[in-house]
Amino acid sequence: MRGASWRGKWDPFEELQREVGRLFQSLDPFPSPRHVRLFPPVNLYAAGDDYILAAQLPGLAPEDVELTVTHESLTLRGDRKRADGVTDDAYRRQERVMGRWSRTIALPDRIDEARATAHFSNGVLTVRLPRAESARPRHIVVSSSS
Amino acid sequence: MSHDHPSIRVSVGASGPRTNDPTAPEEAGRASGPAFAPPVDIHDGPEGLTLEADLPGAAEDAMLVQLEDNVLSLSARIDSPAPEGARLIHQEFHVGEYQRSFILSDEVDRDRITAELKNGVLKVFLPRADRAKARRIEIKS
Repeated sequence: MRGASWRGKWDPFEELQREVGRLFQSLDPFPSPRHVRLFPPVNLYAAGDDYILAAQLPGLAPEDVELTVTHESLTLRGDRKRADGVTDDAYRRQERVMGRWSRTIALPDRIDEARATAHFSNGVLTVRLPRAESARPRHIVVSSSS
Repeated sequence: MSHDHPSIRVSVGASGPRTNDPTAPEEAGRASGPAFAPPVDIHDGPEGLTLEADLPGAAEDAMLVQLEDNVLSLSARIDSPAPEGARLIHQEFHVGEYQRSFILSDEVDRDRITAELKNGVLKVFLPRADRAKARRIEIKS
């Protein structure tokens, strides 16, 4: 019964929102993730002998994400579904990235994949990747021949 | 209804100075970038509108949903996922402040707005006011 008859009549969101959004974007020296369309956005940190990879996966639960680690790369894979029972024409605005996604990140150094740990909190996956023993700087004693 | 866990308080009215920063004091010294707008979906339902915003990293205590006059604003602060002293090697997202505002029409029942935060997604339900529903039936007949 609803649909074209009242589409456009009830519009609680007026133009200011767009203006506010534009204003914030113009102040924002960084590209907004929704324009980059890279999903999930990932940050990589070095903390002591570990790498820490953080991926923004809003709306996903730990069981929705497949994480595989090799000694030199990390792969994240999953499916992000829209809300159940909502048809496409019910959307007034669609900015969030949805659907199947996967990303492989090459790590800057060899890691010890057996000791990698992962943690999910508030839609952010954090993976701790200890650097492999063989990748750490080694001190070589130089001996002189007698 | 599916909105049975309203975990976020929707504060109505002016909040005075913006002190929506319940994060640890040491965060205050960190250079915080400008606020950025989270991506948002809005869809219609029989009872009203549902707004969903991606706010990965936002915890309930660092999230503010506020209705002031007819402006609904969402703001949240996210902290770095890495421990202090970690060195950033590669960056695709920024930590700091999420902020976005919307103007609501009178057809939203402001007293019954509910919000919940789950897995970094804020869902705000904006019920249609009864007055608006009644008027719509009149037009149809």
